[in-house]
Amino acid sequence: MSSIIEIKDLNFTYQPGSPYQRQALKNINFILNQGEFLGIVGSNGSGKSTLVQHLNGLLSPTSGEVIVCGVDTANNEFRNQLWKQAGLVFQYPEQQLFEATIYEEVAYGPKNLGLSELDMRNRVYDALEKVGLIPRETQHLAPITLSGGMRRRVAIAGILALQPKLIIMDEPMAGLDSIGRNLMLDLMKDRKQKGNETTVMISHSLKDIWALADKIAVLDKGSLVFYGEVEKLLGKTELLTKCHLELPDYLQVVYSLAARGLKVNTTIRSIEEASSEIIKLLQEAEL
Amino acid sequence: MTDHCIELVNVTKTYRNGSDAGNNEKIALNDITLTIHEGEYIGLIGMNGSGKSTLARLLNGLIKPTTGKVNVNGMDTRSPKHLMEIRRIVGMVFQNPDNQIVCPVVEEEIAFGPENLGLASDEIKRRIDWALQIVGLEELRDHAPHLLSGGQKQKLAIASVLVMLPNYLIMDEPSSMLDPLGRQELLEHLRILNNQKGIAIIFISHNLEDLIQADRLVVLDKGSIYLQGIPREVFADEAKLAAIGLEPPGLYRLINKLGKDGYDIDDHIKTVPELVEAICHLSLR
Amino acid sequence: MKDVMVGRYIIGNSMIHRLDPRTKLISCTLIITAVLINYRWYFLLFYTLLITIAIFLSGIKPKIIFRSLRKIWYLLLLTFVFQTILTVGEPLMHLGSLTVTRQGIALGTGTVFRLLIFYLCSSLLIMTTSTIKLAAGIESLLTPLTYFKIPVHHFSMIISTSLRFIPTFIEEANIITNAQKSRGAQFDSPNIITRIKSNIAIIIPLLAASLQRAEDLAMAMESRCYTGHPNQTRISKLNYYKKDVVLIGFMLALLFAGVSFSF
Repeated sequence: MSSIIEIKDLNFTYQPGSPYQRQALKNINFILNQGEFLGIVGSNGSGKSTLVQHLNGLLSPTSGEVIVCGVDTANNEFRNQLWKQAGLVFQYPEQQLFEATIYEEVAYGPKNLGLSELDMRNRVYDALEKVGLIPRETQHLAPITLSGGMRRRVAIAGILALQPKLIIMDEPMAGLDSIGRNLMLDLMKDRKQKGNETTVMISHSLKDIWALADKIAVLDKGSLVFYGEVEKLLGKTELLTKCHLELPDYLQVVYSLAARGLKVNTTIRSIEEASSEIIKLLQEAEL
Repeated sequence: MTDHCIELVNVTKTYRNGSDAGNNEKIALNDITLTIHEGEYIGLIGMNGSGKSTLARLLNGLIKPTTGKVNVNGMDTRSPKHLMEIRRIVGMVFQNPDNQIVCPVVEEEIAFGPENLGLASDEIKRRIDWALQIVGLEELRDHAPHLLSGGQKQKLAIASVLVMLPNYLIMDEPSSMLDPLGRQELLEHLRILNNQKGIAIIFISHNLEDLIQADRLVVLDKGSIYLQGIPREVFADEAKLAAIGLEPPGLYRLINKLGKDGYDIDDHIKTVPELVEAICHLSLR
Repeated sequence: MKDVMVGRYIIGNSMIHRLDPRTKLISCTLIITAVLINYRWYFLLFYTLLITIAIFLSGIKPKIIFRSLRKIWYLLLLTFVFQTILTVGEPLMHLGSLTVTRQGIALGTGTVFRLLIFYLCSSLLIMTTSTIKLAAGIESLLTPLTYFKIPVHHFSMIISTSLRFIPTFIEEANIITNAQKSRGAQFDSPNIITRIKSNIAIIIPLLAASLQRAEDLAMAMESRCYTGHPNQTRISKLNYYKKDVVLIGFMLALLFAGVSFSF
């Protein structure tokens, strides 16, 4: 597996030398391989958004290296074109919509890529389908008239249409109701199944991504306090409390039961499995 | 009778859609009758389009019912002379923390409400100090609001409403734009305001995890009351909730599953540690 | 950074900073009026000295003042040149077809100094008065106009809301700019059409957000019983102290002196 992101000793300071100087990232190091799903968690101000803006070239390090798709972002020309390979979806992306129809909105990115009309149309239709919108029915609608959830899907389609190697999403489920969230989760699961598409997802809620992520990065006040597989994070209660990260309730229950010496399997990953384990425990106790 | 509650009596709210020949009417709320007593903690739940926001805005007279009546502590929201007092008694905090802060300085923001009520300067100064202290923003009194975090902005919004000494506090999806810490602090705050100061809380949300501490839940769907009851009862009816796209909190889904297999968990169990204790007891029998 | 950084307010706690904003507004007006009426050289020199002392007392570094002067030196130079060659009078020297006169030089110098005084005076005002205090001062001074049915308090609400949201707008504009850059918008393209199109991708979302914001704000204000009532808290924090009264008196005296001496 080749690496798609390599971060070495990354430090970043906003407005260095001015009275408003603020170090947002301190000594970040990690590697992400192609096809993997990385979840980035941490509370507000921990540096998550700053970090991902280095991945698509918006920001360049104060010191250290950021290598994306094999090329160092210190190269200005490369950085200016990096948006084509690393698509970044900001928080509340529905606020960026400005075109008159859904088609034109989703086509904005491909147009900037300089594609032919035919290629553009294929990409737009493909992207719309991926977010659960039927192109023929929706392409002429005006984004302004749509609900917040639908507009968000249009915004995400706009980045999907670029067909980048790497997609970064900043809190894609913020403010959505459960129908919207489930749609978003399905979208993520689809991407994972394809296998060759890399995704980075920021969430302030561990509950949203722990089931999806191959690797998790935990940021705290600009430092990377954990990077690795999800399972390894689940046991570190002190770290989780310090960073205000919460495991899903059913997982906490099972873990607490195991901590008390009861026989439960802690590798469960869903409510159904959790309840089966507990029921098994109670049935055995009755014997 | 009806002096210490908000009453909705057969309230229907319709909106006219479209400007041409079509007489398209959208029914936002359909014949709702509901009473909210002082001191209660009520959760108002529904998906987008269920009518919950419309209902919220009826409670303080921002909009008026098409038919039916809304009475706040005996005052009809349709009578102009009572509107000021109604809005003093029924405070409202909105979803977007930024879009409800009017003034460029925290202190001025809190003074905004009392000034509109025409209170004397010393009384306003006293109340500002008190409100800042309740929400814990004393050090930020001279700050510009845009420098505050999302959670702090919501605290400011709450302080700006509390300073008018309301009996009811409507929270319209207040935590959907906050991070987990901000959300936790907000919920804790509301619990204290309800327990210690007796302020009725009407918490509107589509996320049932927010409403575990409520006394009563009212679930809306397509403008009507779909389900009502104490949280435990409402959470137990997973099928009905799923039919309109809602999911009980994770903990209760677990409790429901255990219940289906015959392992009944007590009604008062609301947290992870409590559930763990209960399971341990069951397993040691 | 506690205050809104609109304009060139420089945080400080000098004597000048602590003056009531109304005192500074009134003094500024009086100085400008005086200098417009009487522009004899000794008068202008006296005022220039006065302002220099004020700058010194304010604790603002002289290099900041000089840097800001750099912005208007074109204007000063142009004014001087035009005055010297276009004023009729006793010729001093000839430059080709243009005549430099003694009156021209005198008038030119005088005008340059007057412009300097206007500029330094107002710069000092803005640099030593926070935007909020400035708004409060202006509103307080304009309050008598309400007797003439002019809605001063509505204007102050408009200014207040602007001050509140300018930083928010700037932040939003930055975010939207980055978001559109991430889709290939070129803000520094040599092609002007591309640049315009890219800016449209910022302006439209900002406008849409503003409309939503206006609606939400109106609801929030109504919910807190807003009926157009003036904002007293800000004004009630303004106080005239002895030094304010003395300074205003001094400026008035100077003005009268100037007026009488100009005849």
